[in-house]
This record gives sequence, structure tokens and C-alpha cells, in this order.
Amino acid sequence: MKRREFLKLAAAAGLASSGIGRLVNTVEAAQIPDLVVAHGSSPSNITRAAIDTMGGIKKFISRGDIVVVKPNIAWDRLPEHAANTNPEVVATVIQMCFEAGAKKVKVFDRPVNDPRRCYVQSGIGDASKKAGAEVSFVDERKFKEITIKGNALKSWPLYTEILEADKIINIPIAKHHGLSKLTMSMKNWMGVMGGRRSSIHQRIDESLADLGIIIKPTLTILDAVRILTGNGPQGGDIADVKKLDTVIVGVDQVAVDSYGATLFGMKGSDLGYLKIADKMGLGRTDIERLMIKKINI
Amino acid sequence: MKNLRRITQGLFLLVFIFLFLQTESKGRDELGYPVKIFLDFDPLISITTLLSNHSVAEGFYLSIITIIATLLLGRVFCGWVCPLGTLNNIIGSLKKYNPKTKPLNWHKIKYYILIFLITSSVFTLQLSGILDPLSLLIRSFSVSIYPIFNYSVSAFFDAIYNLNISGLSSISEPVFSVLKKTLLSFQQPFYLQAAFVGGIFIFILGLNLFEKRFWCRYFCPLGALLGILSRFSILKRSVSEGCNSCGACGSVCQGNASPDQKEKWRDAECYYCWNCDDICPQNAVSFGFKGRKASASMDLGRRRVVTSMITGISVLPFLRQNPFLNSGHYKQDLIRPPGSLEEKDFLQKCVKCGECMKVCITNGLQPTFLEAGFEGIWSPILVPRIGYCEYRCTLCGQVCPTGAIKKLDLKEKAKIKIGLAMIDKGRCLPHAHATPCIVCEEVCPTPKKAIWFEKTKVRDRNRKEILIQQPRVDLDLCIGCGICETKCPVVDKPAIYVTSIGESRSKENQVLLK
Repeated sequence: MKRREFLKLAAAAGLASSGIGRLVNTVEAAQIPDLVVAHGSSPSNITRAAIDTMGGIKKFISRGDIVVVKPNIAWDRLPEHAANTNPEVVATVIQMCFEAGAKKVKVFDRPVNDPRRCYVQSGIGDASKKAGAEVSFVDERKFKEITIKGNALKSWPLYTEILEADKIINIPIAKHHGLSKLTMSMKNWMGVMGGRRSSIHQRIDESLADLGIIIKPTLTILDAVRILTGNGPQGGDIADVKKLDTVIVGVDQVAVDSYGATLFGMKGSDLGYLKIADKMGLGRTDIERLMIKKINI
Repeated sequence: MKNLRRITQGLFLLVFIFLFLQTESKGRDELGYPVKIFLDFDPLISITTLLSNHSVAEGFYLSIITIIATLLLGRVFCGWVCPLGTLNNIIGSLKKYNPKTKPLNWHKIKYYILIFLITSSVFTLQLSGILDPLSLLIRSFSVSIYPIFNYSVSAFFDAIYNLNISGLSSISEPVFSVLKKTLLSFQQPFYLQAAFVGGIFIFILGLNLFEKRFWCRYFCPLGALLGILSRFSILKRSVSEGCNSCGACGSVCQGNASPDQKEKWRDAECYYCWNCDDICPQNAVSFGFKGRKASASMDLGRRRVVTSMITGISVLPFLRQNPFLNSGHYKQDLIRPPGSLEEKDFLQKCVKCGECMKVCITNGLQPTFLEAGFEGIWSPILVPRIGYCEYRCTLCGQVCPTGAIKKLDLKEKAKIKIGLAMIDKGRCLPHAHATPCIVCEEVCPTPKKAIWFEKTKVRDRNRKEILIQQPRVDLDLCIGCGICETKCPVVDKPAIYVTSIGESRSKENQVLLK
């Protein structure tokens, strides 16, 4: 909130020195929202506009950064099935990272289905390579046992490339899940868990919140171009897919997910892991008190 | 001629190995290469499939090309093309031969094997693939040699990586990543039977140290078939008057053709390797289309031929002594790949070449030992605890050379059941232990999930009430792909498991009233 106070101050200073007409423009340009919700027919354009409204990619990515972009590539499904992140959204983010001077952008996931098929069928492999990213399959040797000291996870093997990156951009897709109700950004980090990660389902809400202790994304971009409303998380029936043409961008992943819940007629506090994450101070679910900027492109 | 032949052999071997390596998913549902083409050209597989199942193998017409080529040119396939022949050749050249040792002259054995295989196929047995050189080679490579190679190379590079002495891995890792993209497989494959199948293969190669091209000379049934055809070939070897019987050609003959004994020359055993032509000090040997037919007649002996035939017939009831066939019950672990024919037809067609196992992306297709009876040894079954059947993958049907596994499109495949999942409530965490776990439901790939939840209030040990989702299987929707069993977090004996019941290919092996 410090940033916003500073901006208000700046705005006040502007008021003193300039005419009212100019002031309105300045405030609009300078006030950076907590969440941006962009709506429009082109996934690429809304992604770009949303990040620009968040203050521009340069605010998040510096020259020479090694960036990990983590989409959801967990399933052997096509983009229209809305089981994996929209490839256009992913490609746009990668392009923008390079525009900000990123040295390297890495894209990977540890899928549930065969990785080769997931990367190809989702369209993310090709789109990311085309955008210049280094697309790799997970190398089992690169998992390291990391101390978490969480409520459910005391330690877990995590993918070292995520821990060594300069910046992390999480690009999940919003969809239904049988146990956690919805899977979005916080659950997307299961993709960097090694070992027998399926056993965290025994205490899924606490475990997902625990991951948030270790993994701190620079930016979270929730893909809601298509959302999967049933038979998740892998779907397969087009009838379960709803086209919303939306992306949500934010720094606070708990807030992003809380907004995502509203797309399904829920609120953040309906989801156990968000409630716990909020309590742990990892982010906030009371999005009605945040500044949310909605844009149409 | 020797060098030309070696180059040709080398090229065919390289093509074979290249296609073998390409028998692996790159993520699309097509491989982009005709990976089974060597099998398609194999007339032994075509003929036996035709006889055993009265059906035409996929590559039937291509195998006619091999037949015609052999009718015209003799057993050039053995000498110039066959990748197993080439490997035998290479291993054989490791040993220096004593020209004084006489060959065993067991060449007739392979004809008896051929007669046995053909006769048994007339009586609906398909055993040819066990001994067919191409099937044997692909199976041995798929199930054993390649996984062992892959394991050794990866272990070597992993060791360097894990030691990481003074940046050694910065040199080894780029090399490793190139190998990963070219020679090594995407993930380490493991197969049941690997040591057994590989042991047989190494034994066959080892025989070359005893006598060169031992397998080709004495055991190869495809060689025998081509040998019979080659007797009519118009490309003939002839020996001119200049021959002074020095015997030089006898020691270099790759086949067991007795080139040094004019009257006993066995043209059916000649691989057209041209060695006798190359070595002849008198330049008396020539190959051409004008040669006279001057060779010993092929006398297999009536009694022995009859014995082979009788063996081929009598092996049928012998191998089919399977109590399951008569009990009205089915083998629960006999989960065949999607698109497999009904078991009887399946066994009549499957040549156990291992193509489907090589291409299976989850490593779930495994060779049987005796699960399918003696008749079905090394035929493929899905072992869900090892790997599952990927919902949108149809590769195994694409590489099957005989159609034992049908080619399916995705729509067809979605409807095919290879078995059904059943829950072991005594082991399932939500059922038995009031512990949440939804992994089977999460991974269930059918568009409307075959695994659904019953929300139930249960009490834990402290009488605390818990609302829990207990998984149930919709037997109508379940296709038996086995991903639930593969991923079940109860890692030893699974709490959900797939058996063959409900499989589309069988009318009888059903649980639901239809």
C-alpha cells in the first residue's frame, strides 16, 4: 500500500502544479490497481493490455533477468478443452518479458499425462518456442528437498529451476476441481512439486497454502479466456467449457484466485486454501476492498 | 562387390535403427515415419497370418515385393538387407575362422522349423514371430537391448551430474542433451522379461563366434522360406572351367552353401554375398543371369518333413491346454491394448514383435510370460501399475504389423473399453480411513468422469464427524484405461485397479447386463 500512498501524494503534488484537466489524466495513468481484469476477443491483446495497466512489464521484469513462466500444461487436451493454459496468453507474456530485456525465459511443467503429448496437444510447447522461450521437460534430477515448515508440508522436493529464477510469472487457467473446488494459481504450483505429490490431496488446502510460503511469483496472470466449469481439472467435454475472453492480472496470487472464484459464482473464502493463505498472511481474499480495474479491449 | 554389399547392409541397418528410434511419440498422434516397414516386407509374417487367421497383414502387398525379388535374385535379402543378418555378420567377423574346421551343416533344421511354423499356422497358431528374424530383432531391441543401452548411458551421465567435480557436468550435460534428443529414449523404459528376451538375443549373436551366421544358416525360418523361393531365381552363380578346386571359396562362404564342392553346391543357402567371387584366385566364379542350374537338389527327407508337420499340428492342442478356456472365467490381468481383436483372433495375428510395447508412451504395455498361455508368450498386456493407456493416444494400433491391434481414430478409441476399474474399499483412503483423496477421479480422462463421488459423513477415531468424498466407479463410463490404478497414491497394492472384465472385444467377459 506504500506505493499507492506515494502515488496519491504524487497526484496531490500534481494538483498543486497543474490544471484539473491534466490531473485526471495523470491519476488515471499513474494509479496502479491491485488487480486488472481485461476482457476482449483477442487473448493476446487482453493479456498485453492487462499487464500494461498493471504498470507495464518493465515494472516486473528487468534487463538480464532469467524468468520462469509457468503455465498449466498438465493434461493431454486441446486448447478448446480448457484444461491447460491458453497458448496465446503464454506466448504474449513471453514476448513481453523479452521486450523488457529478459535474458532467458524458461517454460516447463510436470504434467499428469505424458509430457510430450501435453506440451504438443496444448499448443503451449510450440507457441512458447516460437516466442523465443526455452521449453524443457522436467528433469527429475533437478528436484531438491526444500524445507517449508508449513502446516501440512514440512519439506518437499521442489524444482530447482523455479527457486533459482530471477523472476517467476505464474499463468494458470481457471477451472473446476473435484477436491479443491477450483484450481487456479495457487494450485498451479503442484507442477513444480517432485516426488509423490498426489498424496498432498489428503490435506490439500493446507498443503497448497504451504507452497505459498516458498514460491513467491512476481506476477500472476489468470487465464479465463475459456474456463472449465465441470469434470475438472482435465475436462474433455466442450459442453463444460465457458468462453469468458478474460484475463486477470495481479501481484497477490490469493487475490487473483479470489477474483477467479467469482467467475464460478463463488468467493475466495469459499475455497479452503485461499482462506488459509489469507490467514497466513500470504495474500488477501477480501477483494471488495482492493482496487480492481476492469478494461475492455 | 564386398564393399558395395557392406555399404548396403550398413545402410539398411541404419535405416532399421533409425526407424526403431522413431518408434516413439513426439507428442503428436502420428509418428510420421513408417516404423514397421521392415515387418511389412516380411513374407513369413504375411503368409503365416494369412494361414492362421485368413486375414491379410497390413504389409501383405509389400511382402510380395520381397517374394518377387527373391524369385528373381535369390536370397539377397539375407545377404544384403536383413538387419539381424548384418548384426550376425558383424559379430561373426570378430572371430578368426580356422579354415580346417568343418561347418555343422545343419542347414536343414531351418526348413523343418519353417514347415513346423507353416503347418501350425494352418491350424490357427501364430508362432512365426517368435523366430522370425525381424520380429525377433525388434522385440529384443524394444524389450531388452535398447532399455539396457539407455539405462547404461543415462546412469553414466547421471553419475557425472551427481558428482559434479570441478564443472565436469558442464561438458557432459550438453553431450547428454544431444544424446537425449537423438539416441536415448524420452524416459527410461523398463520391461518384464527384459533379461530373458535379451539373453536369448545375446545367445543368438554369440552363436556367431561358434560358426559364422549360425542363426541365419541353421535356424532362421524366413531364411528357409526365401531359400525355397531362391531355387527358382534367375540370378545364378556359375563356376567356369578354370576352377581348380583350391577350396578358397569354402572358407569365406557366409551361408552354408558349399561353394567349393561343385556338385554339392546348395544355391538355396547362398546369400549372394559375392565372397566366393571376390576371393577366387582363378577368377572362375561369376554371378549372372545366364547361369545354368547346377546345384544339389534340396533333399529334406520325407520322414523329417512329415515329422515337422506332425509337430506343427500336435503342438496346437499342447499349447491350448488352458483351463481358463473352459471355465467360463477370464484372466483378470489379461488387459489387451485398445483395438485388440477378440482373444482367439488376437493370438492368431499377434507376432510378438514388440512394436506396440516400444511405442507405448507410458511403458504400460508389457510382454506377457505365461499370462496368455504358452501360445501368447511375449504378446502385449497393459500392466496399469507400470503405465496406463493414454486416453487420446492411438499409437499401438498404428504400429501393429498384422492388425492384431486395430488402427483406431480418436472417436473410436474413446468408446473402446479395455477393462474396468474396481475399488478396493478396504484400502481406499476415503472409504476405509476417512482420509480425503480424489486422485483417481482427478486423473479419470472420460469427458464425463467415470469416477464420481458419493459425499458421505463419516467419523474418525475420535468420533469427529467428517464430510468426505468417496469415489465410485460408473461401470458404463469406465473404459479401463488404468490411469487411476497407475496414479493411485496407495503405492504398493492399489486401492483401485483395472481388470479385463468389460472389455469391448469380448462378448462373454462382461459384468453388466447389456
